[in-house]
Amino acid sequence: MTQTDRQRAERFVAYLDPIQHQLTVYCSRALNRSDETADVLQSAVANAFRDFDKYSEGTNFRAWMFRYVTLETLNRNRAARRSPSKLEEQELPETGTLDITSFRLETLLDDPEAVLDHCDGVVAESIGQLTEQERRILLLRAVGDFKYREIAEIMDIPMGTVMGLLSRARTQLRSQLRDYARQHGLLSKGDSA
Amino acid sequence: MNCQETRRHWDLFYDSEGDAELHFQLNEHLENCVECAEWFDKQSRLESLIEERLGHETSAQAVTHVDWANVLINAGVTPVTKSRSWLFFSSGILALAASLLVVFGLYGLRFGSDGAPSLSHLSAEVHQHVAAGSLRPEFESQSDVEVDEYLLNRVSFPVRCPPRKDSGFAVSGAGFCELSDQPAAYVVGTVDRHPVSIFVLPKESLEAFPRQRSELRSEPLTGCREGDTEMVFSIIDKNIVLVAGNVGREKLTRVLKSYGTYPHTL
Repeated sequence: MTQTDRQRAERFVAYLDPIQHQLTVYCSRALNRSDETADVLQSAVANAFRDFDKYSEGTNFRAWMFRYVTLETLNRNRAARRSPSKLEEQELPETGTLDITSFRLETLLDDPEAVLDHCDGVVAESIGQLTEQERRILLLRAVGDFKYREIAEIMDIPMGTVMGLLSRARTQLRSQLRDYARQHGLLSKGDSA
Repeated sequence: MNCQETRRHWDLFYDSEGDAELHFQLNEHLENCVECAEWFDKQSRLESLIEERLGHETSAQAVTHVDWANVLINAGVTPVTKSRSWLFFSSGILALAASLLVVFGLYGLRFGSDGAPSLSHLSAEVHQHVAAGSLRPEFESQSDVEVDEYLLNRVSFPVRCPPRKDSGFAVSGAGFCELSDQPAAYVVGTVDRHPVSIFVLPKESLEAFPRQRSELRSEPLTGCREGDTEMVFSIIDKNIVLVAGNVGREKLTRVLKSYGTYPHTL
């Protein structure tokens, strides 16, 4: 590697360092097998670095980098063929969003910490039950803190799809938490939530 | 805005998405409705706790600091260097992008007299450029079927050519643009040899155009004129459909109405 390449690597890493934590968590949560995180992240970083000349200075490096990690995790999950049926495009509800009010989660809403403290691992497990697209959108929003438009660009899908699937993912995640809490006696018996 | 509508927009409120007017309306409702305000607080609290947990690394996936510079150097990964021909090609692309930016940047500056973006201004601008040949649609064909096929699945909302026999509209192409950041598809062609453009946007886009929204509330089929361009627009199923052209309003209305006779599913 020449001196110029080394300087380029250092410049790339200067961009990468502040988002390394976010990228790692996102990568780990997005993978079907979280033990592949380090390997997948390394591939994604290497691919991004190879294309670093295509990155335009001053544009959103974070979104640019997340795109590489998204593609790499998607490829890895596809290669593993662990959930091929989940990769299909989901049919969206007519309005583009699901009605989150249809779930009556009063007890979970009244004291969410009490429930979540008991099922920390369930949150991670529950997102594994979502479809590939739903999971990625939820994670890009929750972990990456991206706007809908940025998520649409990272995933190369329409913004309306992002909105619809994010709403659906949230509703399903809450539904799973509610079911878990009910099964483990964290919600009162008479609670219809 | 009633309680049900307000709650349906919780996602947009929580994620700070949607336009300023929507947030104004939501805040206005929340200030006057204790039940909804409490409901919003609870939803937001639960969501932020879930997000917090999703953002935490567990012990099994603890983030270890990686010295990426060394990893990349030791792995011998080097960026792909652009060739000279690529530079010529990319400068051509940049020039094209710059001219498109100028064109679309101009559209972005068009607002109504009330300071809000105007759908009719923006559509008229695009139509005039297409009619003058300074903006060519991405896809050119005189076949309704080919244009329909091109449009299919390229946008999240349904767009089609109106039936030629009923509308008198002879298609010549189609493309996509953004009108005040709202995704739009357009179909271009002629009526009696005069250029006519049909713009289609998802119904939700109307939030970005308060003047047109208010006009459509009072009159389901609305017409106006921007310079030499006549236009009519209406909400048809899930879309706002606007027909602009240099022909009489009755002919544009015929195109618009015949567009509405088409089924939205293929």
